[in-house]
Amino acid sequence: MSGRTKTCWHCGEPLPPANAPQAVVAGVAHAVCCAGCRAAAEWIDTLGLADYYRLRSAPAQRPAATTGEQGAILARPEIATQVVRDLGGDRREAVVLVEGIRCSACVWLIERGIGSLRGVVSVEVNAVAQRARFVFDGAQCTLAHIVDALARIGYRAEPLTAAALTDARRRENRAALKRLAVAGIGAMQAMTYASALYFGAIDAQDAPTRDLFRWLAFLTATPVVLYSARPFFTGGWRALAARRLGVDVPVALAIALIYAASLVMALRGGADVYFDSVSMFVFFLLVGRYAEMRARHRAGDLTDALARSTPAFADRVRADGALERIAALELVPGDRVHVAAGARVPADGVLESGHCRVDESALSGESAPIVKARGDALVAGSAVIDGPLAFRVVRVGPDTVVAGIVALATRAQAARPRLARAGERAAALFVGRVLTLAAITAAGWSFVDPSRAFEATLAVLVVSCPCAFALAVPAALTRALGVLARRGVLVVRPDAIEGLAAATHVMFDKTGTLTGIALDRVEPLRDVDCEAALALAASLARGSRHPAADAIAAAAGHASLAPVAAWQSHSGAGVQGQINGRRLRLGSPSFALTDDTGPASLAPPNRAGSPGLEGAAVLADDAGAIAAFHFTERVRPDAQAAVAALAAQGVAIEIASGDARAKVAAIAARLSIAHFIAGARPAAKLARLSALRAEGARVIAVGDGINDAPVLAGADVALALASGTEIAQAASDIVLSTGRLCAIPEALDIARRTLAVLRQNQRWAMGYNLAVVPLGALGFVPPWLAAIGMSASSLVVVLNALRIGRRERHDHVPSDPMSANGRPAAPVALAVIGSPPAQRVVQ
Amino acid sequence: MSALVFLIPLSILLAVGALIAFFWAVDHGQFDDLDTPGLLPLTDAPDEPPQEPRQ
Repeated sequence: MSGRTKTCWHCGEPLPPANAPQAVVAGVAHAVCCAGCRAAAEWIDTLGLADYYRLRSAPAQRPAATTGEQGAILARPEIATQVVRDLGGDRREAVVLVEGIRCSACVWLIERGIGSLRGVVSVEVNAVAQRARFVFDGAQCTLAHIVDALARIGYRAEPLTAAALTDARRRENRAALKRLAVAGIGAMQAMTYASALYFGAIDAQDAPTRDLFRWLAFLTATPVVLYSARPFFTGGWRALAARRLGVDVPVALAIALIYAASLVMALRGGADVYFDSVSMFVFFLLVGRYAEMRARHRAGDLTDALARSTPAFADRVRADGALERIAALELVPGDRVHVAAGARVPADGVLESGHCRVDESALSGESAPIVKARGDALVAGSAVIDGPLAFRVVRVGPDTVVAGIVALATRAQAARPRLARAGERAAALFVGRVLTLAAITAAGWSFVDPSRAFEATLAVLVVSCPCAFALAVPAALTRALGVLARRGVLVVRPDAIEGLAAATHVMFDKTGTLTGIALDRVEPLRDVDCEAALALAASLARGSRHPAADAIAAAAGHASLAPVAAWQSHSGAGVQGQINGRRLRLGSPSFALTDDTGPASLAPPNRAGSPGLEGAAVLADDAGAIAAFHFTERVRPDAQAAVAALAAQGVAIEIASGDARAKVAAIAARLSIAHFIAGARPAAKLARLSALRAEGARVIAVGDGINDAPVLAGADVALALASGTEIAQAASDIVLSTGRLCAIPEALDIARRTLAVLRQNQRWAMGYNLAVVPLGALGFVPPWLAAIGMSASSLVVVLNALRIGRRERHDHVPSDPMSANGRPAAPVALAVIGSPPAQRVVQ
Repeated sequence: MSALVFLIPLSILLAVGALIAFFWAVDHGQFDDLDTPGLLPLTDAPDEPPQEPRQ
């Protein structure tokens, strides 16, 4: 090779000294450094994506030898199952962290390259967060294919781990702080030098001293513009490259203009320099951005705290009793895992060792330690306070409670509520008008008074605040979602906030929503102790999610529970298992009393005076029935308060239930609800809903989100009470994860306030701009004042948004006794959750 | 006026020094979590593990 260093056409690395491979792209041979780069380049070419090389602004990452290994990790089936989520049908979804995304050409390349694979339905790449979301047809494509293809074009895919997320956030926060500090100190210094000139401490006629101060101001303003203001330049450039008008465009334009013009003036010895103004402008803007970033992170922090809480490694107990350390991703249901005191539980499971205390605060917000007994459910992410403990893994990876919530949140980041889209459009329109107006101002002044043309144009660019426009909606929405999440109200579809605020009617389902079932009494069917029978039943019931099982488990409290072997759940019938070698069945009488050998061979002794067993659960062993459990329906403790609060908010309340008229009427009377329909099938409930909506009512339907999904789907806003794993499955717009009915009026209140704040923000942004832009255009606003005005106006918007949910902050969320039975409590803490309706998982 | 010759470089030095100190602090995680440290004194100290007798 000659003295000129040749670099690889694909990745920019130095070429090997001799025999560099050649990649033929668009019919032209280019020297590349290795076979990997050649394969990558030629594959990109065969996809017809050679434009990438024209569009890119940074060389690609070298498809290093490690890609094979990296791809292999995600390609391993057991890992893939952790990353891939089933969207129903054959559709699968995977969100992975993609390393090596450098510029928007990378995004383009990945979206086109992977999108061209067979079976890939959609690809979304977020360059800032370095993550990509793939939706693909599981029958035609696997994650391994995608990871492989990514590796071929030189990007490394990794599981989206909490650590990676935290890293990205931490980097962003640190960079923002540094920029802020540089801008702040630079602005202060520049102001010092400028005020010496402004206030006449230095004789402005004394040209050498004046120039000295100007150059000093230049010295301090330069790092501010070149370092601190870089996000505005990259943002503006990115928007222009995508042929859009982002809010960064006029900002970047203004900064560049002020700086360049001041430099020219300083060189020529002109009248005014604005180094102080530009530094201040950047500083104030960064303060606004920092406030916004903090709000965004704070909303995300809660979710991430959840994701972070799952440890990366687990100590599996081998058959010989020895411990082996494996990646938590490699656990499979049935594994026995050892967790030391102070460590976190790696997967959802059932406690097999004795009593211990765990801290589930990350999940439930309940800070008091929870005592767990043998057989109790443990949730991934809870911290063990006194251990060690041993537990049997029941659910891993995407099936865990934590993962379900985190997945919802991750998916949500692609969702843009209608309001936000409208806000963005308004901002883009506004930017276009500001640029036009600035041009008109420049042209106008150059006729009237050319010496003031520059100053007036700058004033228009700076004083107009598209930021206030752009922030008006997202600031309020982000805040509202965060506040709601902290109350246990998970907004799955951000558009629902709008619907919530406009609601005129609430339609409750009865069973499981306004009421729950509780154990009424235990009836021994044989000569047994009631307590012992209850303990046996509770041991069996622990694993089930049926409301009746919940009621039995709740009634047993923390009585000593026996470990269950060969546990099985029969959907809609009951559960069975072995305790101390004794086969037990718990469920509906027909299920429990049916031996495998034949039906009804174990009929209960028909005792006189005992009520029938309809609606009761029966515990039986091979010898016959042991005891019957009778249930009673109870109004949820906070139903009364919730209904009263809703009525006070002016919302009409109805009950639509499938139950018998007398029962529904009794509940309605107790809760003072005037309107109810009883004995209604889903079709009748839907008809009632559409009748209401035809009259112009906006209806919130409240149900459990699983059994009444079709009814919920017919409402303006679907609100589901769910807990545990059901959170991610509930077919609704909003999930009440704590099961607190009082959260509904609270959420309504917050939604109304949010819309009010949002409108205030928009009016403020409009009013401010209408008031100051003409002043700027007429030349009444000096650039430094314009800088303060603009920053203050966007700060007002952010601060106004922070008012949402401020006044009525309840610190303690009382837990619902019906779910306080040691089951995975529902998470209280959660942030921006949202998913486009088409992707909702219905099961 | 002659004081400026001394004071201006000093102010610049101080500013640069402050920035360096701040960058160091940011890079060493002093600003990563602004909420938890304030609450730390309010939490109970975890039980200390039994210590080995000192030799």
